[in-house]
Amino acid sequence: MSVAFLLCLLVLFVLAGIGTPIAHSMIVAAVVFLAVKGQDLGLAAEQIIQGLYDSFIILAVPLFIVAANIMNAGTISERLLRFCVALVGRFKGGLGHVNVVSSLIFSGMSGSAVADAAGIGKIIIEMMTKSGRYPAGYAAAITAASATIGPIIPPSIPMVMYALVSDSSIGFLFLAGIVPGLLMGAVLMAMNAWIAHRRGFAVDDPVPLRQLPRITATAFPALLMPVILLYGIYGGATTPTEAAAVAAAYALILAGLFYRALSFSNLYSIFLQSARSSAAVGLVIGAALIFNYIVASENIPGLLSSALQGLDISPIAFLLMINLVLLLLGCLLDATTIILVIVPLFIPACRALGIDLVHFGVVVVVNCMIGLVTPPYGILLFVINATTGIPLRDMIREIWLFVVVLLAALMVMILLPDLVLWLPRQFGYRG
Amino acid sequence: MSAVLTWLRRRADNVTVALLAAMFVAFILQIFTRYVINHPLGWTLEVCLTTWLWLVFWASAFTLDERDHVTFDLFYLAARERLRRVFAIVSAIAILAGFLAALPATLDYITFYKIKKSATLGIRLDVVFSVYAVFALAMIVRYALTLWRLVRGAPPPAHVDAEPA
Repeated sequence: MSVAFLLCLLVLFVLAGIGTPIAHSMIVAAVVFLAVKGQDLGLAAEQIIQGLYDSFIILAVPLFIVAANIMNAGTISERLLRFCVALVGRFKGGLGHVNVVSSLIFSGMSGSAVADAAGIGKIIIEMMTKSGRYPAGYAAAITAASATIGPIIPPSIPMVMYALVSDSSIGFLFLAGIVPGLLMGAVLMAMNAWIAHRRGFAVDDPVPLRQLPRITATAFPALLMPVILLYGIYGGATTPTEAAAVAAAYALILAGLFYRALSFSNLYSIFLQSARSSAAVGLVIGAALIFNYIVASENIPGLLSSALQGLDISPIAFLLMINLVLLLLGCLLDATTIILVIVPLFIPACRALGIDLVHFGVVVVVNCMIGLVTPPYGILLFVINATTGIPLRDMIREIWLFVVVLLAALMVMILLPDLVLWLPRQFGYRG
Repeated sequence: MSAVLTWLRRRADNVTVALLAAMFVAFILQIFTRYVINHPLGWTLEVCLTTWLWLVFWASAFTLDERDHVTFDLFYLAARERLRRVFAIVSAIAILAGFLAALPATLDYITFYKIKKSATLGIRLDVVFSVYAVFALAMIVRYALTLWRLVRGAPPPAHVDAEPA
């Protein structure tokens, strides 16, 4: 490790630590590195420009953001929610179950946990708290916890980023997320049932079964979305990036023509909002690419990998250790930064230890999503706080039980690679 | 003055939206021509990549606020106003210095590409890449202004962010 690299890290940590945008911090740190090394300062621009201009798969990120925003703005989310209420609202802890099931379905359409919490999550929190049946903190906590499933079940923006830095197949990563996502949904519903029973939450009036066909019919076109996406990708019809565009186009047609819930000015603000998020993420991706270039030129991942081999550590022990590190980082950093900057450091070590990179990717993304709800830095808690006004304190008091079961699910995924890789193998993955 | 700036900003937002819309339409066109009419157009891919590059840097230069960016603001939010001001001033100086120092080499890198043209549309690459220079210049001007305001006693910016993950 050179002096230049240590200085670069110092600048990065200090600047990012005092609230400078992460992307700017990385660009400035890269310039410091190049200056101390006596290299061409234009290399920073070269890496960021070429990185963004050459990579086709990153295009999926803005497209999935557009799709999610259109679904939230149209009445697609509401229709889905009505369907879920009719389906599972009749049980003890009903709206809690509705919350998880709607997240599961929505996660098959959107690749972003934040979009899930801000869109469908906001509506269901209103439903849960309206008549005082559920404490506001509880409603917010289960919403945040279930929103973490969003990027686990395909499509998934974090998995696209992971594929970018690890060179693994997005198609197989997406498939590998399905069983873990369902597992997370199951443990959350079990915890919800247990809490509802213990605390005696009131049961909602069941929706009469004879209304179910009509409610299903109005939600049906929206329910088709995950089917179209999965068929597009695994029927071999489209690449995952193209599937993202199809998803956005389908959402647009559905919201605009079929449900007639979009005006032109609506559409303009959706595009502006999506462009803002896409550009902010794109800049971080670009800046992370320069940083990764520096890390690679210093051979840090190689050093890390050989140091670990020297320790003669078993793959399971390594995975557990990495997960502990990522969980701690997840309390402080956002998922984008962890996946783009921290995770690449461990990829060569995974290869050396024979850890499957698709398995590793799913575990890492699940881990980072749990990081989105762990205080003090939990972006999902902030988003729900911003959209509903429920105090962070109340959410944090209620969320820890859900965090515990999500961690248990993560543990199962770490210890049982076959569970994660079973579905990709059915589709020809050799790993 | 501020009315002019607001007007300019709205027009910059128009460009941002147009870039995203163009990228989206080009992508749909690509899928349609490849899978539906089985006669793929070569240029749609390049349009997507070019508009994406422009979207990121154009929007970062003119559309994004401080609070739109991905930031780690735990310490910033916990700090009192006096310390926040120090943080904001250090940030502005660092960004200003970093982008200024790299500017000559960056312009060199971009203008060097006047000899090369893009793969299918044949646009000169220095034109395609020039948006990064626009972004770098915008950062220099913006943070110079921020620094000027902070030094003269304006309150440090408030942060609340929400980015997709």
